[in-house]
Amino acid sequence: MNARALLLILPLLVCHGTRAQAGVLDKMRGWVGLGGKSRTEEPKKIMSRIQVGTFSGGTGASAQQTLRQELLDSREFFVADAAEKADYIVDGTSSGGRVTGKLRDAKGKEIFQRSYAAPGLDENLKALTDDVIYTITGRPGLATSRIVFVSDVSGKRQIYICDSEGRELHQVTHDKHGAVAPSLSPDSSMIAFTSYRSGFPIIRLLDLNLGWERGVTDTPGSSFGSAFSPDGTHLAAVMSFIGNPEIFVSDLNTNTAACVSDSVGAPSSPSWHPDGHQLVFSSDDGDGPKLYVVEVPKKVGDASRLFRWRTGYHFCTDPEWSPDGRHIAFTTRTGGEWTVAIKPYPNGGVHVVQAGGAEHPSWSPNGHFITYVQHGELFVHDVRSGNRRSILRGYGRITEPRWMR
Amino acid sequence: MKAATPMKNRTSLTAIRSCTLCLCVLLASCSSIPMPSFLRNPAAEAVVYALGPRDGFTSPLNGSLKPACPALTFESTDFKLTSAHQEALHSLAQEMLKNKKSRLLIAGYTPPNLPPDHARSLSERRALAVRQRLIELGFEAANLQTVGFGNDFSPSGPSSDVVAVYRQN
Repeated sequence: MNARALLLILPLLVCHGTRAQAGVLDKMRGWVGLGGKSRTEEPKKIMSRIQVGTFSGGTGASAQQTLRQELLDSREFFVADAAEKADYIVDGTSSGGRVTGKLRDAKGKEIFQRSYAAPGLDENLKALTDDVIYTITGRPGLATSRIVFVSDVSGKRQIYICDSEGRELHQVTHDKHGAVAPSLSPDSSMIAFTSYRSGFPIIRLLDLNLGWERGVTDTPGSSFGSAFSPDGTHLAAVMSFIGNPEIFVSDLNTNTAACVSDSVGAPSSPSWHPDGHQLVFSSDDGDGPKLYVVEVPKKVGDASRLFRWRTGYHFCTDPEWSPDGRHIAFTTRTGGEWTVAIKPYPNGGVHVVQAGGAEHPSWSPNGHFITYVQHGELFVHDVRSGNRRSILRGYGRITEPRWMR
Repeated sequence: MKAATPMKNRTSLTAIRSCTLCLCVLLASCSSIPMPSFLRNPAAEAVVYALGPRDGFTSPLNGSLKPACPALTFESTDFKLTSAHQEALHSLAQEMLKNKKSRLLIAGYTPPNLPPDHARSLSERRALAVRQRLIELGFEAANLQTVGFGNDFSPSGPSSDVVAVYRQN
């Protein structure tokens, strides 16, 4: 090996920070062109200790027990027993399924008191759990979060919704020829999806609370791959009416759209940075899909930068930015099988989350978990511990899961 | 020493003349020298024609449509047309261009093993490549519509990695 080659390799070896778990080849791919320190490893934070106090009222005992379980399942706190010291105490009243919860700190100072009157004790306690988590950690809880996905269990591909445990499963669309590619709005009140009801792929919006539905695009060619902006006012999607598939950003208030990509190939799967100013998408210019980042112009006529974001892999699709904007999860191919991987943005080592057929990753709202499908089964994967569990299986072939953002 | 100077000047003049001649020949032949593929901008090669209104076009999902030619099979995950595709489209153009009003729906399909959203885009891109070639062969752009079904639906026939061209009435 000559001196020049050694000089080229040395910085790569020094800079690597990959935690890839899929063999030497994957690690080497992670090194190439990545550089920088991996930000996948974060300093460990000390968990707050929380105590579930007494809930008075007819359904108080049940509420206390369920709330304790919800807080344990969230893995955001150390749940202390009654005799132990705690940083926070939550108690309240519950009768007839209604709940009033009170959160106090260790000194007894009230942080909040809220009432929940949805039909169903469990639903009210989930809302209380998420409020407690958000107040203490600043991150959204998952108890009330939802996952949308596509399944062919009815014989046609339709959209379904479930909670993060795979329970409370509902069919959302009943379109004549099926519906695919769902995306949840940031407040979980609307779904954007690709509908085949007219026989052609068009993007529609469905309000989950009020039940109304309307078309967003009915342009010639195909429209698909919609993604809500973080503030819910814009929708990024692929449209081909100009004679070439391109990424467009539609303003949902004015129903106008602007093209933000400049592709000669096949772009797909746009995903927003949480700041709402950048999009990552996959595009195949004839030699396999790769990931690109484009800045979304603030107003018409503004210049925007479009550049390729290198992952070290040749085939990359379905990118999704993490809720803090520091990582991108994507589908790639290792050993001939689909693999879910994450990579810090803009630089860092690739971390293979799951190989062996795992595809279409989507981040949980708190950024601790990823949901994906593997051989038609829906999984939730803890990115911190590496543990995963199947939350839905035997429900037809599940594809395209999206967690509420 | 003095006698050598004009000789030197003459030599350098000849060298300059030769260089200029070579440069002129090179510049003149530039247009006939093919540019390497990695320097070419594919977007600059052809005019891309926007799609016209879809009114009056029938989807293969809403009824059985008659294929205008055998389905064009794609072997790799590419969207470029092969010589076999070009031949098939040339024959189609020869047959269909007799009727100036004939309209076609070009539908792309991909195998089920591709990620769904990438599959939709790839199938649409292939359908648009076929449409572009048909326009170059003389078809009216407004009479050609495309749709990319990806792997959401399977075409009739043995291969699912195809672009099917359907007649419209």
